[in-house]
Parts: sequence; C-alpha cells; structure tokens
Amino acid sequence: MYAIECKNLTHYYGKKMVYENLSFNVEEGKILGLLGKNGTGKSTTINILNGFLQPCAGECLIYGENTQLLTPETKRRIGFLIEGHVQYTFMNIHQIEKFYSGFYEGWNSAPYWELMSKLKVTPKQKISSMSCGQRSQVALGLILAQNPDLLILDDFSMGLDPGYRRLFIDYMREYAKAEHKTVFVTSHIIQDMERLIDDVMIMDYNRILAQQPIDQFMNTFRQFNISLADHNAVIDFDGMAVNIERVKDKIEFYTYSTEEEVKGFFKMKGIAYNSFEEVKMSLEDAFIGLTRKY
Amino acid sequence: MLKSIIYKEWIKIRLIILISLGLSLLALINIFLKVRHDILFVDAANYWYSFLFRGSAYFGILKFLPFAIGLAVAIAQYIPETVNKRIKLTFHLPVSENGILIWMHAFGAAVLLILFLIVMGLFTAGSAIFFPSNMINPSLVTVTPWFLGGMATYFLVALILLEPVWIFRGLYTIVAAGFVAIFYTGAAIEAFRPVLPLLILITLLLSFVVLFSGYRFRKGEM
Repeated sequence: MYAIECKNLTHYYGKKMVYENLSFNVEEGKILGLLGKNGTGKSTTINILNGFLQPCAGECLIYGENTQLLTPETKRRIGFLIEGHVQYTFMNIHQIEKFYSGFYEGWNSAPYWELMSKLKVTPKQKISSMSCGQRSQVALGLILAQNPDLLILDDFSMGLDPGYRRLFIDYMREYAKAEHKTVFVTSHIIQDMERLIDDVMIMDYNRILAQQPIDQFMNTFRQFNISLADHNAVIDFDGMAVNIERVKDKIEFYTYSTEEEVKGFFKMKGIAYNSFEEVKMSLEDAFIGLTRKY
Repeated sequence: MLKSIIYKEWIKIRLIILISLGLSLLALINIFLKVRHDILFVDAANYWYSFLFRGSAYFGILKFLPFAIGLAVAIAQYIPETVNKRIKLTFHLPVSENGILIWMHAFGAAVLLILFLIVMGLFTAGSAIFFPSNMINPSLVTVTPWFLGGMATYFLVALILLEPVWIFRGLYTIVAAGFVAIFYTGAAIEAFRPVLPLLILITLLLSFVVLFSGYRFRKGEM
C-alpha cells in the first residue's frame, strides 16, 4: 500500500523543464529521503505534493486522493514541515498549541510539551524571538501532537546546528518507527539522512538517478580510486562507470559494478594501473559520486 | 475550528484594532470639542447655516481615518501570512482552502465593520448633542462613503498582499487606487446620496476578490 503515488509528473517553469514523466511511490511506514542538487526539482515536488503547485501533466496521489484536491480528512493525516521551520512566529508556544489543537480531533499535546520543556523559553516569549533551533523544536512538536500518518519534511536541517539536527533526527526516527508513520523528507545536509531514512531517491536535472532502499544503494554503489600507469591514457568507460572524476592519472571511479567486474573491464581494455582501491563511502560521498561535483 | 481561526486572526489584529479605536475616539473628541468651541464663540445659527447651505463639514478630520484603518488592519492580518509564505500553513489546515480564507477574511471584515459602526454611532450620538436631526442625516450620508472606502481598502489590500506575483501586485495596486479614490472624491455634503446603494454594492463585490489571490497562490503562480 502506498502513502504517496506520483505518476508521470511533468513540470516546466516557462520553457525550463524541471522534469518529464517522473514517477515514484512511497510505501506506507517507510522513511524516504529525496536528495538532489539545487534546482533539480525537490521543492517543486514538495509543492506538488502539498497542493501548492499544479504540475503541467501527471498527478500525485496521497492516500489515493489527488494532491490538488485533498479533502480536509486527508489533510488531517498529513503533517507538513515547511523549509526553514516556518511557523506563525507572532504567537508564543501556548498560543500556537491552542490554535492548532482546534483543528485536529486526535490532538495529543504531550509530546509537544515534552519538547517544549527542553527549550529554555519563557511562556510568553514569541516564536519570532526564538533561535532557529528552538523554532525547529516548536515545529516538530506541533507535528508530533497532530499525530499524522504521513509527514512531509521540507529541508528540515536548514539553519540547525549539529546538536539540534541530531536531536531532530533521532526523535523523528524513533517516532516514525514506533508509530508506523510514513515520512517524505528532503535535506541539504545529506549526512543527516543516513541516520534517518529507509529509502533514498536521488534526483538529477530532469530525471531520477536512483530510488532504492538506502542499504541496497550503499552496498551496491561503489567508489574505486585508481592510479593509472599512463596518465595520458584515453579510456572509454562505455557504461561501466556511472561517473568518473579524473585528475591526470588519478581516477575516482563510481559504479554499480563489483571490484572483480571493474578489474576485468580494465584488463579487457588493456589499461594498466599502479593502484586500485575500493573506498568506503558515506551517503554524501555516494550522492556526489552519483550526481558529480558540479 | 472556527474558534481557532478567530483566535489566530484576533492575535494578529488586536493591537491595530485597539490603536484604531483610540485614534477614532481622539478624532471624535477633537471634532466635538471644536464644534462646542465654534458654537460658543461663533453662534449656533451661523454654524448650522454654514453647514447646511455652504457645505462646510465639521467632521473633515474623519475623512481618511477609515482608509488608514482598513489599510492597517489588512496589513496586520495578511503580511504575517505572506512572510515566508506562511499562508501555506493556513492552506494546509484540514479545512477547504477557500473556506479558511473566507473565514479569516470575514472575521477581519466583521471586526472592521463593528469598529466603524462604533465610530459612526459615537459620531451620531455626539452630533445629536449639538445639532438637530436634519443636520445629522446629511452628515451620516456624507461620512458613509468614507467608511465604505475603508472596507473596500481592506478587501483590496488583502487581494494585493496575498497575490504571489509582484507584477500583478503592482497592477492590482493601480486598479485598487482607482476604486478607493471613488469613495474619497471631494464632493459637497450629501452629494453621494444617489450613489450610496452602488457604493455598497461595489464594496460587497470587492469582499470576495481575495479568493482570486488565494486561488493563484494554490496553483503555484510565481
């Protein structure tokens, strides 16, 4: 059963294509991380999912409903964290809790107040005068109190220091797994995602580069650092490499192939090398390896 | 749910409403102190004559007050929604998007209307102390377009502020200035009496235009 189904999404801003025929699904109970460089369409996708942007073609369904026509009942099942932890900053923590509680029948304020008790804020302090980290906890607490089935978190790490990022991730992971919640998350800080997500979707300009469980991706996508014997060697890697970063004789070779397959390929092509080493990658390394440095 | 909507909107506008009420009271006090002074020192017959036959209004200070209040309330209510596109939070609440916008707008308009009715009521009561009824009625007919203009300003500024595209905001501002100017055109006492129903109709029609900006925002215009 899918919480989110996007089918053949196509979107343009004027004549600039964001993507064409993009399709993906998010299974219920999974945490999916959407990664992509700036301008690859992450925010566009989030906006379409939340009904704030009508795609040129295709559709996204959340719990079977078109996101452009979500009913209040379905919206009640979706928690939405806007990029930068945007909230009604003219309120204080009591006012904002009182405001939101009126909209959700199953409102459970306990996790909200538990998080608020950790913040060193005065009861009447406006959210506008809080730090970015404190605001992130307010936004997170409100989502937890709402108790939605699906959480859409747009760049949750923006502006947070490492401590608050870690707190946010650990809290979210524990909550989502314990309560069988579905999470669709984007973040600029990819190292955070590794601790949080079950599945990864990596977008490049106009297409999806990878969509699979994070463990599978990290186990099958590899980096080999190779030092060529002849730094002038011209090599056609025809399909073996997903990406190659080369400086003279030094090659960073990114591939879904195994070490044996790559070595066999070099042997078949008659390319000599001085050293050949598989490098353990973090998710951030793998992301850059897949999408290139620039 | 409705209680929550009212709660949030009241938090946004309460300070402006209280300031507006205070300023309106000061304006009324100013008007009637001046009337009292003029009647005492000029004499009542001449004073009434200059009002009835020479169109000299004793309440000119009220003219742009509703405009300023309508503008301030719209800014106080809708700027917080547009900063960082917070209106997304509002539209994401489990209520229909048009529904929540209508409730927010209706609340702002209702508070503004109540404030204006209080000011007009006090103005009428104050006038009744100094003038006969055949002077009060023309006075009310003269000030009513100004208060309608205040309501129209509120509706149009909401339209402008929620519009997601800057160039459209500019175009709406030009059109809005044209509409609002109608209500404040300089004219003799009671000159607007024949067109008052039309002005009321225009104001009522303008009350819905904010939905257009809300629709454009939801469709992702940028």
